Amino acid sequence: MHDILGNALNFNMTLLLPEIILAAFAVLVVLVDMFQKELGLKPPTLPILTVLGLVVAGGASLAGIDVHNNFGLLVTIDNFTAFFRITFIAIAIVLVLGSHEYIEKHVNHVAEFYALLLLSTVGAIFMASARDLLVAYLGIEVLSFSLYIAVSLAKNDARSGEAGLKYVLLGGVASAMLLYGLSLLYGVAGSTQYGEIANALGKSTEDLRMPLLLGLTLIVAGLGFKMSAVPFHMWAPDAYEGAPMPVTSYLSVTSKGATLALFLRWFGGPLLPAIADWQWMIAIVAMLTMVVGNLVALQQTNIKRLLAYSSIAQAGFMLMAITTMSDISTSAVLVHLGGYIVTNLALFTAITHFYNRTGKEEITDFRGLSRTNPYLATVITAGLFSLAGMPLLAGFFTKFILFQAVVQGGFLWLVVVAVVGSTVSLFYYLQVIRQMYIFEPEGDTTRWGISGTGYLTTGVLLALIVFIGIQGAPLYTVADRAAYDLFPQGVVRPAASTGAAPAAAPAAPKH
Amino acid sequence: MIPLTNFLVLSALLFGIGFYGVLARRSAILILISVEIMLAAVAINFIAFAAFRDPKGFSGLVFALFVIAVAAAEVGLALGIVLRLFRERRTANVDAANTLKW
Amino acid sequence: MTGGLVSLLVMGPIFVALIALYMMSRITGGEVIFYLASTVILGGALGAVLLPNLVHSSLSLIATLMGVAAIYLMLLSEFLALVQILVYGGGVIILVIFGLMLTNAQDDPVVMDGSQKPFAFGVGALISGLFVAAAVMAHWGDAEATLIPFTTFGERLFRDFSLPIIIVAFLLDIAFTGALVNARRAESAASEEAAK
Repeated sequence: MHDILGNALNFNMTLLLPEIILAAFAVLVVLVDMFQKELGLKPPTLPILTVLGLVVAGGASLAGIDVHNNFGLLVTIDNFTAFFRITFIAIAIVLVLGSHEYIEKHVNHVAEFYALLLLSTVGAIFMASARDLLVAYLGIEVLSFSLYIAVSLAKNDARSGEAGLKYVLLGGVASAMLLYGLSLLYGVAGSTQYGEIANALGKSTEDLRMPLLLGLTLIVAGLGFKMSAVPFHMWAPDAYEGAPMPVTSYLSVTSKGATLALFLRWFGGPLLPAIADWQWMIAIVAMLTMVVGNLVALQQTNIKRLLAYSSIAQAGFMLMAITTMSDISTSAVLVHLGGYIVTNLALFTAITHFYNRTGKEEITDFRGLSRTNPYLATVITAGLFSLAGMPLLAGFFTKFILFQAVVQGGFLWLVVVAVVGSTVSLFYYLQVIRQMYIFEPEGDTTRWGISGTGYLTTGVLLALIVFIGIQGAPLYTVADRAAYDLFPQGVVRPAASTGAAPAAAPAAPKH
Repeated sequence: MIPLTNFLVLSALLFGIGFYGVLARRSAILILISVEIMLAAVAINFIAFAAFRDPKGFSGLVFALFVIAVAAAEVGLALGIVLRLFRERRTANVDAANTLKW
Repeated sequence: MTGGLVSLLVMGPIFVALIALYMMSRITGGEVIFYLASTVILGGALGAVLLPNLVHSSLSLIATLMGVAAIYLMLLSEFLALVQILVYGGGVIILVIFGLMLTNAQDDPVVMDGSQKPFAFGVGALISGLFVAAAVMAHWGDAEATLIPFTTFGERLFRDFSLPIIIVAFLLDIAFTGALVNARRAESAASEEAAK
């Protein structure tokens, strides 16, 4: 393909097919909703259409991986990108299948909600695939904008608009801080492309040390906000509580996963030469996040707020792996992310169905659930135990891998904090389990079931939790291949990397 | 010719003023205005670096252009939410948004 | 009122001093323009965050944004100066003022801010100080600003950066949807009114 001046363009649009399909289906969903009466369609059309789009996009993202076509060095489609593409698309499918009854009943503007879900997935994918600060920033904003709106869409809930307002204002400030940091980084490196930034930072930056440090601080603050890391977490509990249930779930998985992808891309790529300057920052943030997240979670009475603080603590675990940036810790944190996503989705889907039936979300409302719906109680128990890191469940295996990688990276004290945090977390997870199993149900004690799609999604997720806990090797293999693509030239070990250029590392074997 | 440092100092002061506005004011619309001030500081930074520090000189300009676009979109989006909240509560102050604990 | 007085008191002498210095040919014409623009930008920004009346604040913001456009011109990027004036002057300010009118801000001009002001001032001053220190202490080299021609910029923008333009299209789509769904009445409320 050539432009009007006759210059060859290195653009291969077929590589972006999944994103294009998602965006096209987003428009289609809104259009179909507009003509629903004329076409004579029944209500479940929109979720079916959304899932169809997601499945087609998922299939397309399995098809094309090509590290040489890169859109003028703007994006890269490698195994790392493919890993996150599949993850984000799978999350969206589970959300639609697991909570479409909730969306129908408790969400304003259903069609727009599904369209936003599809478009925000596009933004999350661009965060993982970007190779230029500009594309990454636009990906962040596409995802954040969708979430600002999605948070404010709950029907007949005064908390929703308020949560949306707080989220959009604080998010705007965080974006401005991130942007100022990026502008300083651009000033230091003279380019916005990851490769060139890595080259520029690999050389001596003594002259520009102050702006670089300030830029890194602001970048950590801005990304920490998106990841809901302490002390930039103030928005998270409010947004989680005010948002419709599927959006809360989405905030805790896709938003975190995409930010983690960005952390890995930035701190494992362009910013890796400056590791001595940012390692301690992230270590402190990770420690604060684990401590505050777990301690404040102890006092919560609302299940959404409890899970909000629990997911803040989980963000601390993930940041721990960024501190010891290497291919080992990257594949470990990807494994942990996989287990975390499966567990959180199972929990939130189960709670969504509980809310569909009862319309309540306080922890004490779960009283006697083991009598009225033993199946849901099992799913919630398995999810909570997995988050706490009980053996034979996904959380134990993934945490084990993660802690091992961090210890290898030389941050034993962080792992000690993490283990203590996990133990504390068991206490507040047990509070919920106690309500479900020890106490008798109040009022209506008839047994009730959930819908077919509800059984399907929670069943698959429950099976995955157990499967990953017992046989985690497949997930580990996939994560390893994704992590390998992030470090094609081999890794500079944190200990040896102060000031040394990445080229000094031993060359990794070819694919 | 004016050196790069002057532009950077200007943008630093502007960013600080914007941050003060975000923390000090309680009207949602004024917080938005303050965020716009902060983003203007960011755009000055990008363009100054593009002119002085980037041998190719393009990505900073393009970045600034997109920052302007995103900032404008953000104002539209946030004002929509403010209007909705105003309809529900009859006020546009974030103090009144206190159903949730901060 | 205080904010307006403060900005007037700060800006007035600076204008006079600059013109006097220029008359004595101590500073060049370029520098006069830079310091004038900076004064307008910072004065406008101070007015925007200090003025108690929200309408005055948003009008004060215009000064800042137009001053920023002048700075873009000094940095030799005339295209962005044009975009700045069109987008902000023509779009954002109008939007903000409409927002103020729709939320009846003039009935409620003085909002209850006060207790957090000293803290906010401390943080703002700290941030400004840090950023200024970072900018001044670094050795940025002695490169001159280079001119980027209008046409080259356009070519590069639509050739090398066509993908970001597509993504920004998604973004505007989302923002539009968001403004629409929030500004429109919720479905239940709308149907209740229709029932009446």
